[in-house]
Amino acid sequence: MNTSSTRLVHILIGKSIVETLMVGTLAVVAFATVLPPSFHGWGEVAHAGISGWAVNDAAPFERVEVQLFVDGEFVAAAVADKYRPDVAEAGWAQDAWHGYTFNVASVPGRHEARIYALHDSGGGLRKSLQLLGAPITFAVDTQGKVSALRLR
Amino acid sequence: MAFGPRNSLISSQSLPGSDLALWEILSVVTSCLIVEWVVLSFVGRNKLIGSVPVLLAVGLMIYSHRERGESLQDIGFRLDNFIAACRLLLLPTALVVVSLLAVAWFSHSLFVAPWRQRFVLLPLWALFQQYVLNGFMNRRAELALGKGPKSIVLVAAVFSVLHFPNPLLAALTFGAGLIWAAVYQRQPNLFALAISHALCSVTLALTISPKLLNSLRVGFKFFG
Repeated sequence: MNTSSTRLVHILIGKSIVETLMVGTLAVVAFATVLPPSFHGWGEVAHAGISGWAVNDAAPFERVEVQLFVDGEFVAAAVADKYRPDVAEAGWAQDAWHGYTFNVASVPGRHEARIYALHDSGGGLRKSLQLLGAPITFAVDTQGKVSALRLR
Repeated sequence: MAFGPRNSLISSQSLPGSDLALWEILSVVTSCLIVEWVVLSFVGRNKLIGSVPVLLAVGLMIYSHRERGESLQDIGFRLDNFIAACRLLLLPTALVVVSLLAVAWFSHSLFVAPWRQRFVLLPLWALFQQYVLNGFMNRRAELALGKGPKSIVLVAAVFSVLHFPNPLLAALTFGAGLIWAAVYQRQPNLFALAISHALCSVTLALTISPKLLNSLRVGFKFFG
């Protein structure tokens, strides 16, 4: 029997379903827009500090802006446009200019560095940071020499 | 003009009255919150996407009126009790306006905010808000909880929640919601309520510092 109350209940259920689908779709689209899965990269302790590479597969010939955070604090920003032929040879990039290097001048002790790719979306209204590779643990000795540490 | 009474749900035997009425309130509140929080945070001021939950809510309210056999007169779009409703609203509205002006005068914040063109459309916006708040939610709250303090507090609480996370606005709308809901239950006239609402809103916008009210922003926009 299709009484007026059951019709109203059906309308309420239908409205809830439409709104749930809408919110879910918006969430997925927003996530994919703000944090696209197209960024790849790596970072490691090198002679001068921390160096690595960053590529955006969605725009493979653009240079990615990267930011260095040490112990959770912003340290520096740079554009990944240094010569890294090994990255292109390994098939990660379509040209050889995706490298970056940061000089690390931390106080002596053990630290953790994270390299993030900076991404614009919404016509520049939103900026998001995506972690590239794994966090890098390193130690600085009293002479300022940087060395890699292995995570246990 | 009636929405076309097919069956009066109020008198129907098959009605799970209070649960259904509360569900209707919750559904409309959800649509408002989706616009305020989800659409604004995910897609900004995209009017097309933002209109989807609004249209769904308006569609639900119109369908509900129709199913319950409520006419425009019942809802409060009427003039026969306009003067009576204005009489009830005169004192509380005047008190709010004078209090705001007095606070602004003594704190030297009178007319700190500029007059905006959009204030001209405020009566229409106030009428729409009063329709949703009282013409729909108050009537459903009455069905669920009966006339009186419980339904009035529910309506005021809903009105306040829709102004979160703006603390001052949430507190003020709770107080105003109590008055408007109580007046509506005695004299259901949306035009009188809209005039009171518009007067209070304009006075608030012109007297209280935009910094304190965060320019009347609510929902996700509050943080932007």
